[in-house]
Amino acid sequence: MDPTLALHVVKNGLLIGGIYGGVALGLSLIFGVMRIINFAHGSMLMVAMYLAWGLWAGLGLHPYIGAIITVPALFGLGYLVQACIISHLFRREKAFVVEPLSALLLTAGVFLVMDNLVLMIFGPDVRAVSIDLAYANFFLGDIPINIPRFIAFVSAIGVAGVLSWWLKTSDMGRAIRATAQNRDAATMVGINVPLVYNITFGLGTAILGLFGALLVPFFSVTPTLGLAFGIKSFVVVVLGGIGSIWGCVVGGIVLGLFEAFASQFVTATSAQIFSFGLFVVILLVRPSGLLGKA
Amino acid sequence: MTQPLLKVDRISKRFGGNQAVKETSFHVNKGEILGLIGPNGAGKTTAFNMIAGYLESDTGDVVFEGVSIKGRKPWDICKAGIGRTFQLSKPFGDLSVRENIMVGGFARSADRKRIASRADEVVDFLDMKDVAEMDALDLTAFDRRKLELGRALATEPKLLLMDEVVAGATPSEATEMVELVKKIRDTGVSILIVEHVMHVIMNLSDRVIVLDFGNLIADGNPHEVVNDPDVMKAYFGEKYVQQSA
Amino acid sequence: MFGSATTLERALILIVAAFLVFLPSIVRDPYHIHTATMIVYFSFMAASWNFVCGYVGQLSLGHSVFSGVAGYVTVLMFTQMGLSPWIGMLFGGFFAAVLSLAIGFPTFRLKGPYFTLTTIAFAEIMRIWFENTDNFIGIPLKGSEGLVVPLVGDSFWAFQFNEKLPYYYIALALLAIIVIATAIMERSKLGYYLKAIRGDRDGAEALGINPTKYSLIALSISAFFTGIGGAFFAQFFRYINPERNMGIDLSIDMAIMSIIGGQGTVLGPILGSFILHPIAEVARTSLGGSFLGLHLVIYGAVLALTVLYFPQGIIVPLRKLLARISGGDVK
Repeated sequence: MDPTLALHVVKNGLLIGGIYGGVALGLSLIFGVMRIINFAHGSMLMVAMYLAWGLWAGLGLHPYIGAIITVPALFGLGYLVQACIISHLFRREKAFVVEPLSALLLTAGVFLVMDNLVLMIFGPDVRAVSIDLAYANFFLGDIPINIPRFIAFVSAIGVAGVLSWWLKTSDMGRAIRATAQNRDAATMVGINVPLVYNITFGLGTAILGLFGALLVPFFSVTPTLGLAFGIKSFVVVVLGGIGSIWGCVVGGIVLGLFEAFASQFVTATSAQIFSFGLFVVILLVRPSGLLGKA
Repeated sequence: MTQPLLKVDRISKRFGGNQAVKETSFHVNKGEILGLIGPNGAGKTTAFNMIAGYLESDTGDVVFEGVSIKGRKPWDICKAGIGRTFQLSKPFGDLSVRENIMVGGFARSADRKRIASRADEVVDFLDMKDVAEMDALDLTAFDRRKLELGRALATEPKLLLMDEVVAGATPSEATEMVELVKKIRDTGVSILIVEHVMHVIMNLSDRVIVLDFGNLIADGNPHEVVNDPDVMKAYFGEKYVQQSA
Repeated sequence: MFGSATTLERALILIVAAFLVFLPSIVRDPYHIHTATMIVYFSFMAASWNFVCGYVGQLSLGHSVFSGVAGYVTVLMFTQMGLSPWIGMLFGGFFAAVLSLAIGFPTFRLKGPYFTLTTIAFAEIMRIWFENTDNFIGIPLKGSEGLVVPLVGDSFWAFQFNEKLPYYYIALALLAIIVIATAIMERSKLGYYLKAIRGDRDGAEALGINPTKYSLIALSISAFFTGIGGAFFAQFFRYINPERNMGIDLSIDMAIMSIIGGQGTVLGPILGSFILHPIAEVARTSLGGSFLGLHLVIYGAVLALTVLYFPQGIIVPLRKLLARISGGDVK
């Protein structure tokens, strides 16, 4: 491969990879704290994208300004899904641990409802935001870098940084980390574990609110977009090691680079085969992820 | 002396930086009840898992009836004639007590009739007739333990490895269990038992071995072993031994 | 066959079975026969899924790959070699079984959600590959366009009928076969072993059970039946494409019908499809198709409610109710 092309491929891989990492952050956080795999993760990103699109199409709001609405909206959505639906599972099991498959099935139900409600409301058509920024580039040496993608990439790193700083220093962050480590002990020292769960879930999905707004300028949205993003997020989380925030960013970049290089040799759709293949290989060979302990 | 039923020869297991069991050797004779004791973290369960095929020893060999079984899978070791119970007994749900025991029977035969009648024998042996048709998940903790024992017996073992059989049991249940274990031995099954409750071990064992931090520190009849200074030290610390000396 | 069933339950099962057999003499409208065939087809698919997943307690969301692969084998053997689909579907089922061993061998070591996600990944790899492959070493797969089974007219040999009725009875016969197979399996060594593996994998190993071996035996049988179902579907519609025959939607349908009805039971998956498919049909037709996806919204909601309130499936409270009515005691 000639060096200029290789550099382009690396750039594309890095940019999209960082975004994958950012999208997967919430999934990793929720799994790390609650031991739940949220099957509806990608669908929630899809909902955020529709919301950002709607705000642009209906009110003329630039998606970046729309984020002021999509982030709290998605926080609310996640909070409610956890508080009204998933929490019943915790109550039934009479403990703060649930059988992982029940949680997966329950969120699969949420996934079906969400995807198809959006399909009923908006139909199967592709929706896209068209703003001038979508095609704006700046140059790093000779390489053009697409500005909205770059903003999304930088935001992913930024969110990861803020999230890990917040988890370390704030009271709620400490409560979340304590709950992740040992929920029984957390209960005993007076941490309101159900509240921690609601907030964790809300936070995890609020990040999707942000990325929904950041993605729509260069990514058109359909009601079935969620599953593909959801599965990619699982891949990223498994690559990076479950529950690890920086692992998530690294995992995203690995997946992004892998896809970018693969798509040099086969069509973009076939390149997905390689991402799934990578996922299977990692799960079978090193289930704790690239950065996790063996 | 005839050849021992089970010969454990210099087995070791290291988990990362932690040497759980170190070059430990012991043997189980035919027809005896051998008690394996030691403080928490002494490597008792690890040693068990190496015999039963759940872990493979880093060194040495495990020989059962003159044949090496090291590195064999748990199901093969069961078929070779070693049964085991776990610290935590989980009955198989959606199967009755009797059907749980039948699961063990399939290891020896494909004949359902034979397995069913064998399961009935085991139910009688365990004195569990009243609960035989109950869903196994509805059993009390102690009955779960007995059921687990029954499942292992249905595989017709020559050697039974028992892990903490009276943990959490009431005194009368513990007595019942002690009688049961003796009864099992009387049917010709040899037993290796790990137990925390001292008087149970003293009552049951023909011989006791003591593991401490992966090392075998004593081997002998129960009363000798508990008075051994090394054993006292392992259980109560250096100071206690000096004071009482 | 239904060891712990009460008399009332047995009577009910017989009535439903008789109803299914004589249904076409009551309802003659081809549209209704078509719908009934689809309900029976989904019952069969859910029951095939249940054969391994329900009993061994692992959630596969990749089963559609067995349906798709076997469907393609059947159609291609017919179009390329002129082989009767009756024989082709056996080959297809066998092919699916072999594929299931290749997928299952590494996968069954994984637990819970990891297993589920890996099955999705395997199925998606196959689907994407089929969608992007027009020709594979001379075999015309035609990518996402799919394959049409050429019309040859009313012919038993070619598995083509002018009427809907023969398809209905073929589906019903398949359903009878899987019900009997599951009932036999449940009472055999395999059934006991699968339940043991589901209950406690380590404990099962200590009783001489090699979990991978017995899971794979059940999986290959399940994949075989799923493949037969896929071949039937291709013949029924005389058309096969990767999205419908091996997409994740089909896998999800198979799984949630079983789970809602009651997985790990002989009749639960059938109950699930009898409840869910009519809902889908009503949502599709009576609302004039204006609400695309409505039936899946309902599926999702029913799934969530079932997981929360009847985790073992609707068949459990139903059986308790029947037992109470007949005054018998429940196991």
